[in-house]
Amino acid sequence: MLNNLSFKKQRLLIILGFTIVPLLLLLTFSYYPTLELIHLSFTNWDGLSPDKSWIGWDNYKEVFSNSELFGVFTHNFAYFAVGIVQNIAAIYFAIVLNGKLRGKLFFRLLLFLPYILNGVAVSYLFGYVFDTTQGSLNLLLHAIGLNGDTSWLGNETFVNYTLASIGFWKFMGFNMVIYLAALQSIPADLYEAASIDGATGWKQFLYITLPNIYKIIELNFFLTVTGALEVFDLPFVLTNGGPAGSSETYVMKILETAFQFNNYGLASAMSVVLLLFVVVVLSIQRLIFSRKGE
Amino acid sequence: MKKTMAYSMVSLLLVTSLAACGSNNESANNDKDAAANANSNTTANGGTNGSAPANEGSADAGGDADISGKVVFLTNRTDMVDKEYKDYETRFEAKYPKVDLQFEAITDYDKNEKIRIASGSFPDVVLLSTLIPNAEFPKYFEPLDDITFEGDIYFKDFKSFEGKSYGISSGNSTVGIVYNKKAFEKAGITAIPKTYDEFLAAAQKLKDAGIVPLASNFKDKWPLGAWYNDVPAIISGKADTANNRKDTDTPFTLDNTYGKSFSIIKELYAKGFLEKDVNSTNWEQSKKDVAQGKFGMYLLGNWVINQVVDAGAKTEDVGFFPFPADNSGQAKAPLNPDWFYGVNKDGNVPAAKAFIKWMIEESGYDDFAGFIPTLKSKEPKLAQLTEFNGYKPTFVEALPTDDTALSIQNKAQIDMDGLVQEFVLAKDPQKVLDKVNGQWAKARKEIVK
Repeated sequence: MLNNLSFKKQRLLIILGFTIVPLLLLLTFSYYPTLELIHLSFTNWDGLSPDKSWIGWDNYKEVFSNSELFGVFTHNFAYFAVGIVQNIAAIYFAIVLNGKLRGKLFFRLLLFLPYILNGVAVSYLFGYVFDTTQGSLNLLLHAIGLNGDTSWLGNETFVNYTLASIGFWKFMGFNMVIYLAALQSIPADLYEAASIDGATGWKQFLYITLPNIYKIIELNFFLTVTGALEVFDLPFVLTNGGPAGSSETYVMKILETAFQFNNYGLASAMSVVLLLFVVVVLSIQRLIFSRKGE
Repeated sequence: MKKTMAYSMVSLLLVTSLAACGSNNESANNDKDAAANANSNTTANGGTNGSAPANEGSADAGGDADISGKVVFLTNRTDMVDKEYKDYETRFEAKYPKVDLQFEAITDYDKNEKIRIASGSFPDVVLLSTLIPNAEFPKYFEPLDDITFEGDIYFKDFKSFEGKSYGISSGNSTVGIVYNKKAFEKAGITAIPKTYDEFLAAAQKLKDAGIVPLASNFKDKWPLGAWYNDVPAIISGKADTANNRKDTDTPFTLDNTYGKSFSIIKELYAKGFLEKDVNSTNWEQSKKDVAQGKFGMYLLGNWVINQVVDAGAKTEDVGFFPFPADNSGQAKAPLNPDWFYGVNKDGNVPAAKAFIKWMIEESGYDDFAGFIPTLKSKEPKLAQLTEFNGYKPTFVEALPTDDTALSIQNKAQIDMDGLVQEFVLAKDPQKVLDKVNGQWAKARKEIVK
């Protein structure tokens, strides 16, 4: 049957045939739900009742005017700050492990391994590390003669940093692997020529390595920023948002609004705001990077 | 190359993040079905109601011809599938040979059941989710007033709407002090404290003996429920504290029932009678610690007794007494229902009703679960409950949640567990109360017009 068609039509048919399935999947499971989400964000749906009444921008007004909801973004700052340190460390380790080092494959594996572990499992694991009375960290501090009574997860001022440090442990290896891949794509003769010209290691890093991995740094920052905005599993498992709500994150608030307070409309609006927020932060980042890059 | 990679990563991330947003919407679709279903239900309503009286007779007779067909029970006890339920099935089917009883167990019951109901088709017998307001019952469930039990039952009207009852409590529990007798012995406590002062003295003795007096499990939030549900009921002798909030703009003050209850746990915290670091507690570990006598007491429901025993304590070492919240010396204890059985109005109603009657009267589930039986005349089997009853507590029966109060709380987004945490940790608790009162008053203005 296909033989009767012209080559052009056959090609079109095959292209359509191959793309229609993923497109349909994408439309049904990504775009349709997103549109529904946006629709819901303008209603006051309670999650069960059949009637959803249109309430206009009320939900959005609530999100921005209620400091209880939007204010939790300040908690995410810790994750962002630690994320920057995490990227610097990742570049450092990538460079070290890209050079001549005995057992570098082993070290790479060692640093990458935490990323493979399941997030909830990691959270539980660190629950035992940071426990005040029986945690291994405090036992260690005690053994070396330091004050071993710090409440790592119970101090309102640094609980978010404690949590973010777990993120550091988990995601640093992942960032490192991406940097490593980028480093390996830099031709070795560039370094060779530079060292003949008398450039020091630091100069080589500044003028050869950095410009070459610029795009990858941007990508890693994108991952870090979105990760910081959407962090959820660590505080959810470890602190439940405590002490007294000081480690609650925005995504936890969304979940609480929808499933505890039955306010699906407001929760949808919060999700849309998060989506927009990510886009905005991303555009700012993109602007800064592209200005410096070009 | 790098660019393509960056873009593919970006699109991958977008797709996954969008997919994550999807879960809300799925239930949105279901909801439309539910709406359609609800409509068809109202038309079919007359028929269902008409046949109800006929079923009543058969439920009484037991093993009657009318009771036949498949009946499915949607349960939350995943641990009982293929164990106790197998036995239940054999015994129930022996009594009603024409019935095919099946069990379906799901986790995260409240949320999943809600989605199942919204989708329009759900099993014959369910446990009523706390997320379903009473006013919605007639749309989905069959009134159960016509099941005749051997005697009076607790919480007959708890899940009722417009004079009809839609739920039968599967069992009941109370809240008090679960304690390790060996720890009390070690601390030299000879008599069970009957007043609040005696309670503080006992806690001090435990602390002096190197035992953590009361395991609060502060960090996990949910164990704090007793401080806003049960202790207020013990203090006021009435279970209406939460519902009464709907009539005031300032439901949380230092000198009202909530303030008194929160102040008790704050005092225990200040005196060092809770865990060493309340923000770093571990629920699973705490059961072992109570079992081993490292922790002295819990303020929790009787359901925890079996879990402490499972964690390694000898049954005879675990005791249970009413929490003395004041110095009156009068023992009081709340009585709370567990899950309620409900019947799908479009399901196999006669068999479902027979099953509920059988579960309450004959299955022995209440003893297995360590509940106070729903039948008032039936004595609880649990030794600790017998001890508890020995202190002659006045039971304060829980009241159905007032929908207005609940919607104000939801609108104001007040997380009661979080409130207790904040109150206890705050330097100035009045400020915390002022904040939630503000939230409450604002939400109340929008709900109560």
